[in-house]
Amino acid sequence: MVVEQRNRHKWGMVVDIDRCIGCQACVVACQAENNIPINDEESFRARRAFQWIRVERYWEGEFPNVKARFIPVLCQHCENAPCEVVCPVYATYHNDQGMNVQVYNRCVGTRYCANNCPYQVRFFNYWEPVWPESLRNQLNPDVTVRSRGIMEKCSFCVQRIRRAERTIEGQDNSTISDGELWSRNLMPACVQACPTGTLVFGDLLDETSRVHQLKELSLADGGRGYKLLEPLGTEPNVIYLKKVDIHADGEVKAHA
Amino acid sequence: MGITRRQFLRWSGVSTLGAVMFNGCRIPEEELQIESPVDMPEDLVSGIDNWYATVCQHDMSSGIIVRVVEGRAKKIEGNPDYPMNQGRHSARSEAALQSLYHPDRLVEPLYRDQRLGQLVPISWASARQILSDKLAGLSDKGKFRIVTGPLRGHLALLTSEFVKGYGGAHMAFESLEQVTLKAAIKSVFGQNRLPEFDIANAKHLVAFGADFLSTWQAPVRYARAYGEFRQGESRRRGTHVQVDSRFSMTAASADEWVPVKPGGEGVLALSMAYVMIRDGYVPSVHAQALTDGKLLPALDNFSPENESVRNATGVDASRIETLAHEFANPGNQPALAIGGGSAGAHTSGLFNLKAIYALNVLVNNINSKGGVILNPDPPIKELSGQDVVSMGTPASLEEWQSLSGQNVEVLMTRGVNPIHGLPKAAGFSEVMANASFVVSFASFLDETVALADLVLPEHTYLEDWGDDVPDPGPGYQVFGIQQPVVRPFHEGTRSFGDELLILGASVANDLTGILGLEPGDEQIRPEFRDLLRKGAYDLWMQNRGSVKAETFDGFWNGILERGGWWDMEENVKSQSAPDPLPIGSDGKITWPTIEFQGQQGVDTFNLLPFLSNSMMDGTLAHLPWLQATPDPITSMTWHSWVEINSKTAKDMGIKEGDMLELSSPSGIVEAPAYLHPAVPPWTVSVPVGQGHTDYGQYASGVGVNIMNIIAPMVDADTRALAWAGTRVKVRNTGVNIDIPKFEGSVPSIEAEEGQIIQITNLH
Repeated sequence: MVVEQRNRHKWGMVVDIDRCIGCQACVVACQAENNIPINDEESFRARRAFQWIRVERYWEGEFPNVKARFIPVLCQHCENAPCEVVCPVYATYHNDQGMNVQVYNRCVGTRYCANNCPYQVRFFNYWEPVWPESLRNQLNPDVTVRSRGIMEKCSFCVQRIRRAERTIEGQDNSTISDGELWSRNLMPACVQACPTGTLVFGDLLDETSRVHQLKELSLADGGRGYKLLEPLGTEPNVIYLKKVDIHADGEVKAHA
Repeated sequence: MGITRRQFLRWSGVSTLGAVMFNGCRIPEEELQIESPVDMPEDLVSGIDNWYATVCQHDMSSGIIVRVVEGRAKKIEGNPDYPMNQGRHSARSEAALQSLYHPDRLVEPLYRDQRLGQLVPISWASARQILSDKLAGLSDKGKFRIVTGPLRGHLALLTSEFVKGYGGAHMAFESLEQVTLKAAIKSVFGQNRLPEFDIANAKHLVAFGADFLSTWQAPVRYARAYGEFRQGESRRRGTHVQVDSRFSMTAASADEWVPVKPGGEGVLALSMAYVMIRDGYVPSVHAQALTDGKLLPALDNFSPENESVRNATGVDASRIETLAHEFANPGNQPALAIGGGSAGAHTSGLFNLKAIYALNVLVNNINSKGGVILNPDPPIKELSGQDVVSMGTPASLEEWQSLSGQNVEVLMTRGVNPIHGLPKAAGFSEVMANASFVVSFASFLDETVALADLVLPEHTYLEDWGDDVPDPGPGYQVFGIQQPVVRPFHEGTRSFGDELLILGASVANDLTGILGLEPGDEQIRPEFRDLLRKGAYDLWMQNRGSVKAETFDGFWNGILERGGWWDMEENVKSQSAPDPLPIGSDGKITWPTIEFQGQQGVDTFNLLPFLSNSMMDGTLAHLPWLQATPDPITSMTWHSWVEINSKTAKDMGIKEGDMLELSSPSGIVEAPAYLHPAVPPWTVSVPVGQGHTDYGQYASGVGVNIMNIIAPMVDADTRALAWAGTRVKVRNTGVNIDIPKFEGSVPSIEAEEGQIIQITNLH
């Protein structure tokens, strides 16, 4: 397929934190799909566990009036990404589909990008990843195993998007839609797993897509949409929908 | 060898190798789509992935599809067609791959060498010979016992016939079992099968003790429904109240959490019932059914004004009234009450659950949208027999205890670890020590298998045939089918079902005839798959439901393709009247004493064990992905921990990571403290499932086994273990460790403006 003939897409996500129950299905799905090294006990002690998507938990109040809030956090695929401008070798750049892309074989491991990312979603391979020989049978052949010295992060499961372009647009001459992505298991792994429908992914340019509709609705007046750390001006392609608390006194902002 | 497509389909339908490509919702007879190179099996094309449907045994009741590339399973997704989970899945089902390719799998039969006392490899032929000799040499046929997990479907049928052939008995093991739940459902709804809870369509949900979004019954199904309940289109956002003595993941998601005193859940439920009847919310016909016609006076003891009610529940009168009014308010219908978990694990367990489920009778939501939907019997007649159904009911503590007096000669265990999962008082180690011969079918060496005389390595479920009749089902008939999605990874593993058939044939126990299978001969003997096909044949003959076909082969391929068969029309149309609650001679309902065993006085707490969100009761503790999955509330990984209230801990001089000694009359364990504000100050909580001494490289030596200090308290009616009935003394050992938690892995990303979690009260 020639690049010029590609259809235009802009991939984005909506995360409805009123649906999130903190179950971690997205976290494990991501690790299975993307050949993420096994996070052993020591990696947690060293605060170096790899989680391209993570579920953060915040507390509010004291017993008995106490609440826990969950929020899944992943690469925000910023339009104005602070990580991109500091990479000396263009290993991370913004592609024409709205995604923040990491090119592993360009990366020289300066770690400037991780340092500059306000969302803390980049992970550096301080060691060569190891799996017992038999567990390597599970590794996804579509995804590179990153070696020591390389930065990695959420790719919106770019391998699935590419497969969608190849099979749906290339072979079947059809257009990528929510329905096609679902039925061919080509939604990002976290979205495909999420039992409550917290995560919604799709093409923001496709007016029939749910992600487009939710974005329009939620960012309109009175909608629940917001962006993480919006004042920083990173312009994320991930939109969050506010948690609903029936006991909240008007429009409140929880302390994190 | 030139295989045509048509031949391949037929061949795959009858061999253990084959499975049919999963193709979404196409008609069953439609042919495979892939063009294959010459001389390659049709489902093995370089670089092309195939998806096979099967059912998940890690997360019961979920249907999954597995991505297979060049003969290796690569990824698991939810089966979009399967009625229970409709395309969604959990961290637990994902990790089946690590079970399949685990470096510590048992790969050949092992036999205990009497001189060395060690397990040494032997051949399958010798292993089978030894086992059949032992079975043939039983002094009394009644001295054979088989212990498995709760069984369903055709494996339950096969096992029950096998056990009958030996005059022995079967016991189902489940850690933190739900014996009381089954008994309560039977009593209130007159059902043998657990019902479906229509959370997606409910407007108001009150859950007592059941961690239904995380570990209780069919969590993926409930979580999917919960997303709809919260923000489904064209409906008002549902409200959820969690009455729970522990702040579980489910409590964290609720709109309101009511930290009830442990054991007081039933009193709270009947106090709500009292208010609902008193304030005229309940049509008298429903109130009469529940109170045997005596109405409000029968519930006098439960008036929220009573001091005793407040003492038992820890909830004051005005809050109980609000809870009752919200539940019964016509604007909040359909309202739904569910109960389980720790609410049923007290000496008052059955009473609690009966009281909770009775709330549904009062709002008349049985078999209606947004309420309690009763589940029909399985579609295949052989699977609905009492013998088969009872294979799915876990044994109570009392039954375990009585086992040690029964002089068991040959004990067979399959895929369960009661040595780790039962409290010491159950006496299971004595049963194993006294049995003259113990044989274990298992995929991994664990504490129970390590004590066996003969170890028989089993396929994992991704390599084996099987089926499932989900319990609870979705409100209609479902028959899920499990097929091998890859060839067995190791040469030396076998199917448990096949081995039972072989054993049955060798010990003058003609299972084949009893099960109605073709007898076969040495070369082609009946396999477990043949039994599944026989069941499927019955279904095909019924000619209804989601798969219909001209020929049986077409039907068989169709159900393999979809992951099963279901009939949405086939549901329960009638129901029996609920049993009234037990009324005393004074015409009043009273509550049983809520007793605890253990320490009293300063620094003592109610101990609330709970199932791990990722590893459940520890059955999945050997899988590194699940050990590394942070606990939703504490973010803890790779360890046990003690949840203790932040303020209480501060008063006791306890910091995070301090090793705490928990002592009960049954024993002592040590685990690090995790402080958080949502632990009720009178409780401490510890997850079950860790503390393995023998369970592969990822689980051995990790954390502590909290079951070791659970006191042998039982529910007054069912005699099931009241696992929330222990009190412990907490002592700080003074040792502090760096705990492996995820929290703090990323620096706080709080900013002056634009908080991370934004909240609105808009619906």
